Amino acid sequence: MITLGDYLIVSGVLFSIGFAGVMLRRNLIIILMSLELMLNAANLSLVAFSRFRVDSTGLPNYNAQVFVFFIITVAAAEVAVGLAILVALFRARQTTDVKDISSLKF
Amino acid sequence: MITAPELEITVLVLGMVILMVEAFATNIDKRVLAFAAITGLAIVLLATFFVTPGASPSPTTGFWSFYTADRLSIFFKQFALVTTIFVLIMMTDYAPVVRSSFPGSTSQAGLGEFFALPIFTCVGLMYLVSAIDFVFIFVSLELVTISFYVLVSFTRRNPITLEAGIKYLVLSALSTAFLVYGIAWIFGVTGQTNLQRITEVLANPGTDRGAALLGMVFILVALGFKIAAVPFQIWVPDVYQGAPTPVTAYLSVGSKAAGFVVLLRVLQPFLALPQMQRLIVLIALLTLIYGNLAALPQANLKRLLAYSSIAHAGYLLIGVACFDGRAVSFYLAAYLLMTLLSFAVLIIVAQQTGEQISDFDGLAKRSPFLAFAMLIGMVSLAGVPFTAGFLGKFFIFYAALKQHQIALVVVGVITVGCGFYYYLKVVRAMYWQSTAKIDKIPVTGLSRLAISALIIATIWLGIFPQPVLDALQR
Amino acid sequence: MVLFVILCPIVAAILIMVGAPARKTALAASVLAFGATLFLIASFKQGQHDFQHVTSFTISPEWRLSFTTGIDGLSLVMVLLATIVTLAAVWFTGTIDKYENAFYACLLFISGGAIGAFASIDLFFFYAFHELALIPTFLLIGIWGSGNRVAAAWKITIYLAIGSFILLLGLILLYQSVPAVSRSFDIRTLTAAASLGQIAAEAQRHIYLLLLIGFGILISLFPFHTWAPEAYASAPAPAAMLHAGVLKKFGLYGLLRLAIPLLPEGARHWTNLLVVLLLGNIIYVGLVTIAQKRLDWMLGYSSVMHMGYIFLGIASATILGTTGAVVLIFAHGLSIALLFAIAGELRKQTGTLVFDELGGLAKVMPFAGLAFGFGVFAAIGLPGFANFAGEIMIFFGAFKNGWEMDRFHIFQIATALALWGVVISTVYMLRAYRKAFMGILNDRWNGLVDFRSGLRIPVALLVGALLCYGFFPQFFVRMVTPGFRTYLTVNKSR
Repeated sequence: MITLGDYLIVSGVLFSIGFAGVMLRRNLIIILMSLELMLNAANLSLVAFSRFRVDSTGLPNYNAQVFVFFIITVAAAEVAVGLAILVALFRARQTTDVKDISSLKF
Repeated sequence: MITAPELEITVLVLGMVILMVEAFATNIDKRVLAFAAITGLAIVLLATFFVTPGASPSPTTGFWSFYTADRLSIFFKQFALVTTIFVLIMMTDYAPVVRSSFPGSTSQAGLGEFFALPIFTCVGLMYLVSAIDFVFIFVSLELVTISFYVLVSFTRRNPITLEAGIKYLVLSALSTAFLVYGIAWIFGVTGQTNLQRITEVLANPGTDRGAALLGMVFILVALGFKIAAVPFQIWVPDVYQGAPTPVTAYLSVGSKAAGFVVLLRVLQPFLALPQMQRLIVLIALLTLIYGNLAALPQANLKRLLAYSSIAHAGYLLIGVACFDGRAVSFYLAAYLLMTLLSFAVLIIVAQQTGEQISDFDGLAKRSPFLAFAMLIGMVSLAGVPFTAGFLGKFFIFYAALKQHQIALVVVGVITVGCGFYYYLKVVRAMYWQSTAKIDKIPVTGLSRLAISALIIATIWLGIFPQPVLDALQR
Repeated sequence: MVLFVILCPIVAAILIMVGAPARKTALAASVLAFGATLFLIASFKQGQHDFQHVTSFTISPEWRLSFTTGIDGLSLVMVLLATIVTLAAVWFTGTIDKYENAFYACLLFISGGAIGAFASIDLFFFYAFHELALIPTFLLIGIWGSGNRVAAAWKITIYLAIGSFILLLGLILLYQSVPAVSRSFDIRTLTAAASLGQIAAEAQRHIYLLLLIGFGILISLFPFHTWAPEAYASAPAPAAMLHAGVLKKFGLYGLLRLAIPLLPEGARHWTNLLVVLLLGNIIYVGLVTIAQKRLDWMLGYSSVMHMGYIFLGIASATILGTTGAVVLIFAHGLSIALLFAIAGELRKQTGTLVFDELGGLAKVMPFAGLAFGFGVFAAIGLPGFANFAGEIMIFFGAFKNGWEMDRFHIFQIATALALWGVVISTVYMLRAYRKAFMGILNDRWNGLVDFRSGLRIPVALLVGALLCYGFFPQFFVRMVTPGFRTYLTVNKSR
């Protein structure tokens, strides 16, 4: 039997992988993918919490599941804008590597 | 009678109409759109004064379970509208720079969207300050953030701007992920997304507070990005420097104010947990010290204002740590005036010379009006009496002394001393230094009007704080 | 009427900034302010300790904050000092090469801030008006200063900013320390609360320390004094006159107004600390003054040193001592303004203030020599000048010591040491006079001209005020004492 704990562990692992990806990887497209991973880790916990939290009528708490739809929509918008900026950057600099974009410094 | 939700709908429709006109009417001077937007927002701003504030009629179900129209929210709706109006005025001044970054295409390319996007940001801010449910907070925060992504990287032929855009995008999205994950944990513990019900559940001793605290820490990280608190401030200097200047002004005022309102609202359920206060005190101390020390050696005025924005986040966090919502709100109102004033002058001067502090040399000779405006802005940011900035600091220190937060007070006073140094550096450039350039700097009528209004408001609020305090009375 | 005195310089400064003729407006404003002050003195009811001519505008009912102005004997003396020195400084200014309007506006802002601080009954505005002078000082030293003006301007600004924020903390704590019903920024309400013993002794100690440090930085109390000589040496003469003569007295006024009446327990607790620090002012700074090689630096240090006497008077907590402190505040304000004015004119004409290069100037500038002599004798405290009256009263008052009259105590040692301070100041003042004005005239200075008549009027004004005051100190003493008598006897009886 899979418990709530198992879902949370998977979600936590996904979140950490995503965070590590954002911090460590140098390619902007991979960074964007890692960000998506983090958002989806949160989605997974939300759905798991919702499924395991049954109210008096025997139904799951649907608030969280509705929230997940919002997150998916917003994430799509975010990626759309993000990729547009990336394309513009690639046109200007011919690179998607974060090491090459460091003209602003202290 | 006007009700609060109608305000946002009106602004939203205004934004849509302007976008449509922009798309289909190709032959007009696009600055007309900006003036139309300013007029529309001004009308909505007037309308806000006829809205009767009041708590939600039914705070647990339906529409009013995620939307409130209390005094705080009405005040910050006005705040958002005022900010947007001034930013649009600055944008009309900045239009030549935007045009020059779209070489080859028509002379009007890109301007329409540049004027339309802030309206959507404004809607986001207005919804955000009314949000009392995590789902609604998230959605409106993202409306603000995504329109900022576009605005920050708007002059996309400029590689610096694009770099700022990428940095803002990645770090903002990261903070969003933290926010969502934090909300998930709080939902997991309480089974609720409505802030009031979360408060009720957390007051129940059977609740697992540790997990809720974990969720709250994640949310704090996310909001720390929005309000530019140390150690989540790394994006601020780069993005502020790289973004188009009106957008920087908008970011530093609108985005920060929204972050603080949300912070005040989501901290409400967690007041019972003592760890929370200690954590915020720590963040406030770090932010104060870092922001002020890092601002000392800056030579670029935009970057200086970025660090000063971090420093002011520190003062605001003192207010948050003492849970004094009114002091924070008043400080934000003062911050709005003085920051917009400084940016308004910066935009005009930067087009003539540049953004470095040394580009302000001898400004007092070239344009006494602009120099005086900048003087008032800087003096208010530093916290000299008879300006709004001083009363803001006064209320913050009052709250801190009342709570016996000695560490915060001591560090606060020392950093105020640092502040005097780096703000007066600008004054020094304007008045002491001489310059070879002697040509006058032209100021358009609308900008002159806006800057005068900001000067008067900064001084007025520094002498008569009571109207604003009344507007914040719960 | 009080409001008129405050607004005169400030409105004039704003008018000058928008383009009114600088010198005429400034002179008119300072003459008007001076005249109005004389009128206030004439209509002042002697023997009362309440505030008179009170006007009040409510600013924030919630914070019990109101813009209240009024005068009692103490503040009237301070306002008179401020208006006299303002008039002298503005008259003395003459033409300025660059940004003439801004110069006059800055001067008038400093003066308006000082007058406003002295005439405010509300603590918030008392504080705020003083800060009004901060930025003009920064600009005055920065734009028109001489010598190492950049460092001096930064130093004075940062010192004063931090000092005043510490002071602000003290004021906020004071506000919070009284029970919520009588919580107010109004000095009268606070005094009433204090005389009922509503400010806890523990709180008094904390607040007094904060106020002492805050005011101490503003007054250049040892060891926070390092900004003062440098700033005064670099500042243009009118700015130094106003700052050393008037603005610095704000802190002393604040101590007299707040520390003794409101916080007697705090004052008693920190007496020993204050006595040690003020001896630092008198002895240490006095010796440093002797070592100075330039006239402007010497005057700067001497003004720091004389603060020590005034502190001694305040610390003594006797009616005699505190009254003497007020007399000396007034007298010192006039004499140091006079000395800075002459030094400024010398610098303008000779371009140097190093003692070794000057000498014999009294031959070519007899009027300047005479006036400087008056200033020097006043500063030393020769009988006939008000400084003498003030110092004598302070020494007698301090020797008695209001806290514990019967025993031997630190004040007796302090008074004995402070008397040596008089010797020290005699040494450096007379030496300066000899080196600058006596002796053999250097050939370089043959072409110097004496003060033109435009400069003689302000100098004569200051000298006249000094002498007048020196011969009739009793007039002012009678104005000041009733207020102190109430406070000090109330403290005694508890």
